[in-house]
This record gives sequence, structure tokens and C-alpha cells, in this order.
Amino acid sequence: MTEHNGPADAITRREFVRVTAVGATAGALFAAPLVHAGGSDTIRIGLIGCGGRGTGAATQALDADPAVVLVAMGDMFPDRLSASLDRLRPHAPLRVKVPADRQFIGFDAYRRVLEADVDVVILTTPPHFRPAHLAAAIDAGKHVFCEKPMAVDATGVRKVLQSVEYARQKQLNLVSGFCWRYSSPERATFQRINDGAIGDVVSVHTTYHASPIGQHARRDGWSPMEWQLRNWWHFRWLSGDHIVEQACHSIDKINWAMNGATPVRASAIGGRLMRTGAESGNVYDHFTVIYEYADGARCFHTCRQMPNCAYDNTDYVMGTAGTCAVNGWAPSHVIKGENPWSYEGEHPNMYQVEHNELFAAIRDGTTINDGHWMTRSTMMAILGRMAAYSGQTVSWDQAFNSAEDWTPPAYELGEVQMPPVAMPGGYTVPAPVA
Amino acid sequence: MLVTSCAQSDRITAPPVSAANAQFTETIDGTAVAFTMIPVPGDPAHGDEPFWIGRTEVTWDAYDVFVYGLDARGDDTAADAVTQPSKPYISMDRGFGHAGYAVLSVSDQGAMAFCAWLSRKTDRRYRLPTEAEWRFACDLGRIPPAEVGRYAWYRGNADFKTHAVGTREADAAGLHDMYGNASEWCTGTDGLPVTLGGSYRDSMEGLGCAARVSPSAAWNQSDPQIPRSVWWLADAGFVGFRVVCESDSQAGEQR
Repeated sequence: MTEHNGPADAITRREFVRVTAVGATAGALFAAPLVHAGGSDTIRIGLIGCGGRGTGAATQALDADPAVVLVAMGDMFPDRLSASLDRLRPHAPLRVKVPADRQFIGFDAYRRVLEADVDVVILTTPPHFRPAHLAAAIDAGKHVFCEKPMAVDATGVRKVLQSVEYARQKQLNLVSGFCWRYSSPERATFQRINDGAIGDVVSVHTTYHASPIGQHARRDGWSPMEWQLRNWWHFRWLSGDHIVEQACHSIDKINWAMNGATPVRASAIGGRLMRTGAESGNVYDHFTVIYEYADGARCFHTCRQMPNCAYDNTDYVMGTAGTCAVNGWAPSHVIKGENPWSYEGEHPNMYQVEHNELFAAIRDGTTINDGHWMTRSTMMAILGRMAAYSGQTVSWDQAFNSAEDWTPPAYELGEVQMPPVAMPGGYTVPAPVA
Repeated sequence: MLVTSCAQSDRITAPPVSAANAQFTETIDGTAVAFTMIPVPGDPAHGDEPFWIGRTEVTWDAYDVFVYGLDARGDDTAADAVTQPSKPYISMDRGFGHAGYAVLSVSDQGAMAFCAWLSRKTDRRYRLPTEAEWRFACDLGRIPPAEVGRYAWYRGNADFKTHAVGTREADAAGLHDMYGNASEWCTGTDGLPVTLGGSYRDSMEGLGCAARVSPSAAWNQSDPQIPRSVWWLADAGFVGFRVVCESDSQAGEQR
């Protein structure tokens, strides 16, 4: 795996320079105070996005370090926040200290959480909001646990790249929710692939063949915006579609197996067969993406959310000296060929490891910044979606520089339009920004 | 949880008379699901009653009917008696296969709820095997130690996955996959749930009638959502179960 590129992050680093040249401000250059290094000071955390994943991440943060205290929570809806709090209190009764005046509701709840004297924030809202939340968190000098994906559109990706660079400059920890990167068996397996255990990687096929996510029936009194927010994974402006929201895990594993190389272009086939009607929003239910690399490698990703079909979440990596199959669901991690191997070690909970490493870094005064690869993996997923929606072959540069921006006209619990399902051959990827 | 999880119905009926000391085929109305129950004589040394045990591990074909209410009577009548599992977070068949494959990743609560549901649907008394019943049936199988590979999907031949039930040879008792494939929930001699037989992940040494593993917190640690599911085990993609059906005399005591 040495032929794909030189430094793994070369292309993205060039992008950083381009992005930050226009966006850097003096305020970004202040280093974060390392008040917690080596000490037992309380670490105050805030939760932004109180759904099932956010609640889970908060428990893992609480379990990661005995001095972590949850002090503020934010969500769009009071019922979601209180349900989360009800589950968190018994988990750590003495360290969940979120009085009513630190429970924030609404589109600006994230700002209020950031103002609540927190050291670390957990960003687990629907992904549309991530670029703005991440930017505000880094601007405010907070360490961040940032769930995947990091953005839903190209404009959001560029904004995240700015935040990644600012986090680096300010020595803030930025840990991503691409959880497989924190899974011991995956780390051991992909390290071997990157070290050449199957020779040069010539192709990767990753899969995320799953069943659909449920729906919340529309209720009287819900505005269109509230209905969409409560069913966010069905609306592309909120989720980025399921290839970006869910299957990005498996696209990240292409990125990992390819040792961080950036694809040159992608073509894709996708559509919507099982999901019908406005109640299921405007996302697809299946994608097949072909990523082409400069050295001729071709990588494939297939995903679907359909019931009663064969399920799979295996990654198949093909090299000149062997093959590797990684089934994270099984779990099994097997290399066949010249260097046969299978993972026999421990399986620590990867969701817990994410937080253990984040809080250990804060304690030790070291810095984790997952920004480079987490942003590229998100962009790869968006590239695949662009190619599927448009029916065109889309280059990396065309996708990365696209003016695509799915921000709604207003963040209000009122009307919000739902664009029609993208029709290949008719949908146009927005042109590059000037 | 003890073996009393089966439905306390006054409509309980024994297996068909023709099935006395013979296998019978169980069905679920309104579905194509059918599976074979094998008679096992009681252990005379301990005065145990005879019973029937599934020829194979319970497959998704039957479990999906329970989870998704796919039978003729659907959700409504089942829900009044038995709480149905939630939809799993990931695909609990782990991508190994579905139709004809052993149920995986179910909690003991899910397995027992299935038995209660099945009892309602069939008017027979289904439950998990007790540890003694399972081991007695397993011992009757007399799998030769030198030929385990003919009878079991295990680490040495399974290629890191389960396989369709009944695709290895039946043992001398007519049962498939008592060794390997999915390990199987039973009610332990201490009344606590336990898994027996070993699974596709185990080496030869981890298989057998005495292979016994108690559940641990590690079997359900990586469900990323809170609350965690009580029905599905995020990290135990090797645990399934088979059912037993109580005999005429046992059922008769309930009349």
C-alpha cells in the first residue's frame, strides 16, 4: 500500500491551506488552556443533541473519567431532553448536574450549552447542524466529541475543514464518532492492510445492507419543520441521505484500507424503491458507488435500507498478495493469502474507547484530531451521493468545491419545503463556488 | 427467570396423539413456518418426564413471525399476552444468512418471550430446555469425539459464520447442531440462563454436551443507543436457542 500516495493526507492538507487562507482569524490562534492536564479537576461536559446516540455518548463520557460531570444539555424538544436526562441521572446520580436553567431548548440551544462553562461538548444532533455546532464549539475553545457524519453537503464539509484546522491550532481535542477507528480488531486489521499484509490494495468493496430506520407518525400540532426534525433521517437536508448518515462508516473503511488516498472521481447508481410517499421524505433507499483512484484502484460501496433482504456489513479488501474480510457485526477479521491471520484479541466497547481516549488526552495534555480523515470520509460519502443523484461521473474536485448548501431559509418551527426525490439525469450537482 | 415463562393457558393441549413417542411437525397458522419436534424419553434415573425438543435451532423464519407479527392473527392477539421485541439496532443475523439460519443475538428474555408467544399460537407448552433436559438429549446424540466436524459447524470448518440449520449430520438422537453453530439458551440448574453446546466461534475444545457458558455484560456492551435493548445482544452474534415442548403428562397437570 505504498503506491497510492505519498503522505496520506497530502491532498487534504492542500485543501486545508486553501480553506483556511480565506477563513482564518486571529482568534483561532489562541491555544486552549490545559487546566486539566495531570490533575483531578472536574471536567464539565455539555450534551448537544439528546437522542439515543447522544444519551449513549454521554454515559460513555461519564464512564471515561471519574471527574466528568454533565452540566448542560441542549435539544430541539423538551420531551427529548427530559427523556435523556431521566436515563442519564441513574447512570451517575452524583455527576449528572443539569438543573432546569441549564436545559436549553431550540435552534440556539447549542450556543447556550457552549456558554455554560463547559470544557467538552458532545455533538450528536442530526448531522445538518454539525458544521455550525463544531465551528462554534472550537471557536469557544471546547474539546469535542463529534458524531459522524460531519456534514451533509459540500459547503458544510469546507466549514468543518476550517474547524479542524482551528482545533489543531488551538490544541483542542477533536474525536470523531467513526467508531470503528476506535475498535481494537479493526485497528489491528487495517494496520496490517496498511502495512502490506495483503500486498498492494487493488480494490475494496464495503457494504452496509441494513433494514430501514423507523418513523415517527406525524402528530397534530407539529409544524412541517418539527415533523422533519423528529424524522430527520428521512430528509436529505438533515441527514445527507442514508449513504452519508449511516453507510459513511463503511465508506470510511474504504478510506482506511486505501491508507487515506483521495479518489479522483466517482460514479454511482441509486434510487428509491421501497420508500414511497411523502411520509418517508426524500431520501433514497439504495446506492452503489464506484470510486476510482489515480493508481487505477477501483473501490466499491453498496448500501441499502430495505426490509426482508439479505443483510451484510462486511468489508472485502482485495490485494496483490491476499484478501481480507472484516465483518464488524459478527465480528470477524480474517486475512487469507500469503500472510493468513485472524484477530484473536479483546473486543473492548469501541464507543467507550472513543471517550476513554478523548478524556485521557485531555488529562495528559495531548491532542487527538481526527479531522483529516473524518472529513474526507464524509466528503467521499457526499461524492457518492452526488454521483447517484445526478447520474453523472463526478470528480473529487467538482464535489469538494461545489456550492451545494442545504441550509433552509430559516431555522424556525414552521414551514419548510421538501425538495422532490433526486432524479438521475435531471438532478444537477451545484457548480463550484467562485 | 425460571422455566415458568411459558404461557399459563387453560387451552393447553399436548402434542398430537399420533406423535406420542414420535416426532411431530409444528406449524404457525397463517405462515409457512414448520419445524420438527423430536421426542426424548425422560431420564429414568431421575424420574424425569419425556419431552419433545426441536430438531434444529429456532430459525429466523419463525422468530421474525414473532417479532414482526407476520402470522394470520398478527400483532393484536399476540400483544395481549406477550411483549414483542423492539426492532434491532443492527442486523442481528450479522449478515450470515436469514431464511433457514439460526436466530442469533437474542437475549434470554427474547428467547423465553418467543416460547411464550409460540405456546399461545399453538396451544402447546413450549419453553427453553432446562440444562438437564438439553444435556440428556445431547448425550443421547453420542457424537463421536473424533468426528465432530461431521456434526458441527465450529471454528475449524465454519469460515467465521453460522450456517443454515440442519446442514451438518444429525446425531444419534436425530438432532442437528447441538454442538456448534449457535450456542443455545437453556435454563441452568441454578435457575439462571446459560448457553450450552458451543458455537461456530469455538474450537473443538469449546464444543460438547458439557460446554457451558454463562452470559456476561460483554455480550451487550456496544449497543450505542441508550436505553440498550433488552431483546437483542449487540455483542453476542453467536447465541441462539432451540425449544422444548412439554409432554402430555406435564401438560395434563395444568388442566
